[in-house]
Amino acid sequence: MTETILNGRSPPAVRRSDGVIVPFDKGLIVKSLLKETQLVKVVYGIPPMKEEDAIRIADEVEEEIKSMRLKMLSGPLIRELVNVKLLEHGFASHRNVYTRVGMPLYEVYLIDNSQGYESRENANLQPNPETFHKKKADFLSKESYLLILPPHIADAHLRGDIHLHDLEYWGTRPFCQDWDLRYFFHYGLMPDGTGTHTSVAGPAKHAEVAILHAAKVLGAAQTNFAGGQGFFNFTVFMAPYLMDFSDEEIHQLAQMFLYEMTQLYVARGGQPVFSSIQVESGVPKVWQDAPVVSHGKVWKDLRYGDLEGKVHDFALALLDEYLKGDAVGKMFNFPKPEVVLRSRYWNEYEDVMTRAAQLSAKFGSTYYDNMIPSYRGGEESVSCFQCCAYAFSEDGKSESFQRKIMFEDGAHFSMGSLQVVTLNLPRIAYKSGGDDAKLIEELQRSMSIAKEAILIKDRLMRTQYERGLIPFASQRPRGAPPAVDLDNLSMTIGFTGMNEVVEYMTGYQLHEHPSAQKLALRILIEMDRIRGAFCEETGRKFSIARTPAESVAQRFAVSDLIHYPKLARDLIKGDVSGSLPALGETKDLPVYYTNGSHVNVSANVPLDQRLEIEHRFFPILKGGDIFHVWLGEANPDPEALLKLNRKISQSWIGYWSHTKDITMCRSCGYVGGGLYEKCPTCSSTSIKSYSRITGYYQDVSSWNAAKRQELRDRYRIKLS
Amino acid sequence: MLPKGRSSGTGTGSSSHSPGDASHMSAGRGRGSARGRGGHGGGGGADGRAGSAKGKVYAPELTFSLCDYPGEPSCVVFFSGCNFDCGYCQNWRLKKQSPDQLADLREIEEALRRNTLITACKVSGGEPLLQPKALAELASCARSLGLKFGVDTNGSRPTELGSLIPILDLVSVDVKTKLDDREYRRITGVSLPRAEDVRKTLATVIASGAYADLRMVVIPGYNDTRDVAESIGGDLRSMGYIEKAGKGGASFTLVEFVPENAEGEGFRKLSPPPVERLKQIACWLGIPRVMIRHRSLGFMVPA
Repeated sequence: MTETILNGRSPPAVRRSDGVIVPFDKGLIVKSLLKETQLVKVVYGIPPMKEEDAIRIADEVEEEIKSMRLKMLSGPLIRELVNVKLLEHGFASHRNVYTRVGMPLYEVYLIDNSQGYESRENANLQPNPETFHKKKADFLSKESYLLILPPHIADAHLRGDIHLHDLEYWGTRPFCQDWDLRYFFHYGLMPDGTGTHTSVAGPAKHAEVAILHAAKVLGAAQTNFAGGQGFFNFTVFMAPYLMDFSDEEIHQLAQMFLYEMTQLYVARGGQPVFSSIQVESGVPKVWQDAPVVSHGKVWKDLRYGDLEGKVHDFALALLDEYLKGDAVGKMFNFPKPEVVLRSRYWNEYEDVMTRAAQLSAKFGSTYYDNMIPSYRGGEESVSCFQCCAYAFSEDGKSESFQRKIMFEDGAHFSMGSLQVVTLNLPRIAYKSGGDDAKLIEELQRSMSIAKEAILIKDRLMRTQYERGLIPFASQRPRGAPPAVDLDNLSMTIGFTGMNEVVEYMTGYQLHEHPSAQKLALRILIEMDRIRGAFCEETGRKFSIARTPAESVAQRFAVSDLIHYPKLARDLIKGDVSGSLPALGETKDLPVYYTNGSHVNVSANVPLDQRLEIEHRFFPILKGGDIFHVWLGEANPDPEALLKLNRKISQSWIGYWSHTKDITMCRSCGYVGGGLYEKCPTCSSTSIKSYSRITGYYQDVSSWNAAKRQELRDRYRIKLS
Repeated sequence: MLPKGRSSGTGTGSSSHSPGDASHMSAGRGRGSARGRGGHGGGGGADGRAGSAKGKVYAPELTFSLCDYPGEPSCVVFFSGCNFDCGYCQNWRLKKQSPDQLADLREIEEALRRNTLITACKVSGGEPLLQPKALAELASCARSLGLKFGVDTNGSRPTELGSLIPILDLVSVDVKTKLDDREYRRITGVSLPRAEDVRKTLATVIASGAYADLRMVVIPGYNDTRDVAESIGGDLRSMGYIEKAGKGGASFTLVEFVPENAEGEGFRKLSPPPVERLKQIACWLGIPRVMIRHRSLGFMVPA
């Protein structure tokens, strides 16, 4: 009905994207140009369009349409014609804000069929109706933010100099958060942050309610944050609810929590919350004399130190339940158990250490948060690893620290990262032409762009937060201080491809020569110096971290094959020659840079020597790093693994995990170590393989091509 | 698309590791270097001479392991050369010695010395007891470094074992099947394996202060019968296994056979034994401290 055929004197009726069909009216073009180009003031600080320019453009567009003899016309089509005219007349910035964002219909089709690059960008997103919706929304969001960002930052991202993480949430969500459970045990729970859309719960009085509140806190928090959500000191803060509980009941509660966290399949487009819990075997010194906060009050006569026995019981119970797995014997991949290692735990709580090792040997799921090295701040500070191995800490020197420990007027810890921006380190090396001094110059330049981007994000988040648009973070139940303190969030500058930088500069990969290791250390020290200068200049917490680089390791490699083909070809890992012919067609190629400052995953280097290289980077990477032990063994001995852990805990490695590849058969229910093409028991090909991708376990079939290549390349302790 | 399945425990000498390309010692392999700039670690000390010169040993591989020395993170040194020819061997590449496998003992000792993550050293193979001098030297080095020292054996060298046993902390004996010449011949592929030697080896280990880590790789159709299990159980009882096990000094592990790692085509076509079968055999054995090693269960899980 809309395809009114006209004789060319006036254009056909317009199908507008807001759902109506109206006659063509060029006045509307003028009106929309004047209104919408106001945004250039906000985004670029330049004047919006003048009326006479808008009229001229609308006239020309009308002429154009008439001459085209169209049979139908739509709002988006008119807008594209206006865009062309804007460009012709030199209004490029105005075009940026006037343009539509969206995606080709073909891409939409692919997403709904769970195909194409977008389907594998994040292995934690499984194909389901929610995910397809999120993918489309993400695409639109990303494109918008790239248009709104200052062009030099957007270009740096698009060119692959840097990577702005979770770009789809750039204007709406901070990155990640490790929560202080005491806050909710004192003030109760409002999942929406305001209490207007959800019911408001008072503080938990019973253990079951406390456990459910804990699960719901992470679920609610996930709707306000882009990245991982976790609880530091989880076993300690839960202990007051377990006082009268038998061991059996404590196990039941632990099991409830693991099921809640892996079955709340509701976060961001239908996925479990990306969650973690810090498992202390006892009460850290700094908490020993702190008053217990639970049941809606600050206890006068009860200190956390009094509850050490229950903390220990709960830690054991949690690990027991992780060891059992779910009803079909599959691992719980969330919440990631971050088992804390302290010198005294090795003596007093070897049972917990043993369970943790058994869990590593069975499913590989344990993460070790090693507080023993002095750079972790010892017993006098609060710190944690979470999400994909980002680290946060508060040392005991600040004035507010003690208030937070004592929960004075609701003062509590709020640790997390505001935003991560990752540097393409190999690109910096290419730009330097192999000159050390120039390398540092380029590093400084790249880090400055990262800083600028993060500060823009900071301003955006502040505005959103103050307007109550990140309500779970800014909530203030009963006059409490806000749940999240934006000032305290880390501004994380990550990097990937240190191995390839030193390979380009020295001719050796990290594991091949001491000169390569020395240069890596020098670069990190330089990055740390620049970071320090940023902190001083802005008064904010900048930190350097190894980026998980689930998609970035691939994206940077692919963009360097485009922009620096000759140099990059020799350094990029994976199947480079096989990928080159497909470069124009897909970005999901089996090529990658080595993560962070890790040793090449395929390097034939004994574990002790890899540790010797990588542990020296940990004290500098206070923003987070991880040491991967890729187990090749189908049946690692838990007792041997326990002793290995003890040895590793004496090094500077602050965080590690053992990755055991696991195959699950959907026909016969077999779950066992190793990766296979068919079930070792019943030969069925209906199998699922699981391994650790960067910092969490997920089904291998959902990994991108680069990460699947990396899985093939991993040099494991044992091969057959 | 995925890497080939890895698995453990089907080798001669019961080694849990198939060294394959896991070498850290082979000179110039350089797997770590994508562009082949030379590998890690020194050369294997190949000097082109045949025969075992002083300070040299046929040992082409060493690797870090969490499943070869029970309870300890270990460095496994693979000696090459074997006097058996089992078709199901997972370490079949090490059956024959060749000059390019000659390694310098000092280099192996250096690798043990600088490895801060291990608490034990295990020699596997091949049959380690074919090179008793090198074994003795390595044992005393390992012990001087405070490492526990163990050895894998197919049981065919009781004399050599007897003289070494005072400096061994653990001996893993591969019990192929029931201790009977005909059965042994069928499984080991050589015309004169002497079950009597295996018997002596077992008796020596059980009588010693070393931990007796006895194992049998269970191969369907070869040694998974009631007759085999009862015969082995009876023999072990008569050797004092029960007393030693009672003090925690011995165990008998039934190891899942993993077909894809076998040398012989016929063996590769077999199915691995299910856990239930291993449990059944454990009952038939009728001795204490029987363990099961299976990919779906774990390392040494009590049967």
